[in-house]
Amino acid sequence: MQKDLESKFLSDFEKNQNIVHKICRMYTTDQHAHKDLFQEITIQLWKYYSKFRGDAKFSTWMYRVALNTAISLYRKSTRIVKTQDISSVAYKISSVDYDDTEELQLKQLYRAIHRLSDIEKALIFLYLEDKPYKEISETLGISSVNARVKMNRAKEKLKKILNP
Amino acid sequence: MDLLDKYKKTWNNQPEEAHNLSKVEIYKMAHSKSTSIVKWIFIIGMLEFLTMIPFLFMETDTKHFEEMNILWLRKALDTISCAIVSFFVIKFYLNYKSISSLDNTKTLMDKIVKTRRTVRNYIFTGLSFFAIAILVMAFSSINNQFINETPIFKIGIIAIFIFIGAIFLGLFWLFYQLLYGILLKKLNKNYKELAKLDELN
Repeated sequence: MQKDLESKFLSDFEKNQNIVHKICRMYTTDQHAHKDLFQEITIQLWKYYSKFRGDAKFSTWMYRVALNTAISLYRKSTRIVKTQDISSVAYKISSVDYDDTEELQLKQLYRAIHRLSDIEKALIFLYLEDKPYKEISETLGISSVNARVKMNRAKEKLKKILNP
Repeated sequence: MDLLDKYKKTWNNQPEEAHNLSKVEIYKMAHSKSTSIVKWIFIIGMLEFLTMIPFLFMETDTKHFEEMNILWLRKALDTISCAIVSFFVIKFYLNYKSISSLDNTKTLMDKIVKTRRTVRNYIFTGLSFFAIAILVMAFSSINNQFINETPIFKIGIIAIFIFIGAIFLGLFWLFYQLLYGILLKKLNKNYKELAKLDELN
């Protein structure tokens, strides 16, 4: 039983791991911290996997646990004293067949996102992932109205950073 | 097209991670040890329960209570101490167990903050007991050793006791603030940001 659960978890996670990588890219700025956060998210996902009933999509459930870990549970590793490394996003992404302009834009986007607060990052992430307000408010535990207000502010802030 | 729509397209087109993890790597990660703040709160909380126990059950000053003829108070305090430690340990454990990454972010943070508060209340209860013991010692010294001294001298003695007690409590408080301040800095900041939203609307 445990083995079945585990193998199902591993294949579900393997397929959807890019979601976690994207969250790690938003919340960390170097490879070491990325791996650290990824590991903590994996631990949390596995810890609660038996409670995941499949009435929601695995990816939806993953958003919640991963964001919770990034916002509330994860502590930045103190071993790393390095400041923001802008080019660090590049190493993580394979550049084969990838348009230069798009790569530049993606870097700009991540660089701008790094300047947002943790909560704003979560909002922007859910916006970029095209999540409806209902899901956003349920994930963060705030009302839809508040989610909308805060989202608009976060978007304005991001726009200003992107296009000062 | 809105500026962010343009970036949204870029976001959606972003390539996958260059080194996607294999099932074996995920398995290893899933079974490694958590370093989450919840775990730290649990470890530190348990240590606090242990370090406070000597304060709650100080044996050395029984004679002061005897001298003042309030041994019953001492016994009552001991019983209450036992009840308090049990109460807080159980409450702390239940709070800790209720923390789940499946909750929404706000509820999760609420529960973490509540768990920490349990320990804080426990610490303050322990320190109050310590303060009572200090005062009892001060008064028993006055009534026994310094019974014939002038009132000013007596006040001086009490002041010294209070001063020493205050320094001790102050240091303890500072250490405590520092410990949780560092641990929960990020969480508190995020918690405030979410809570502020509710106030605004």
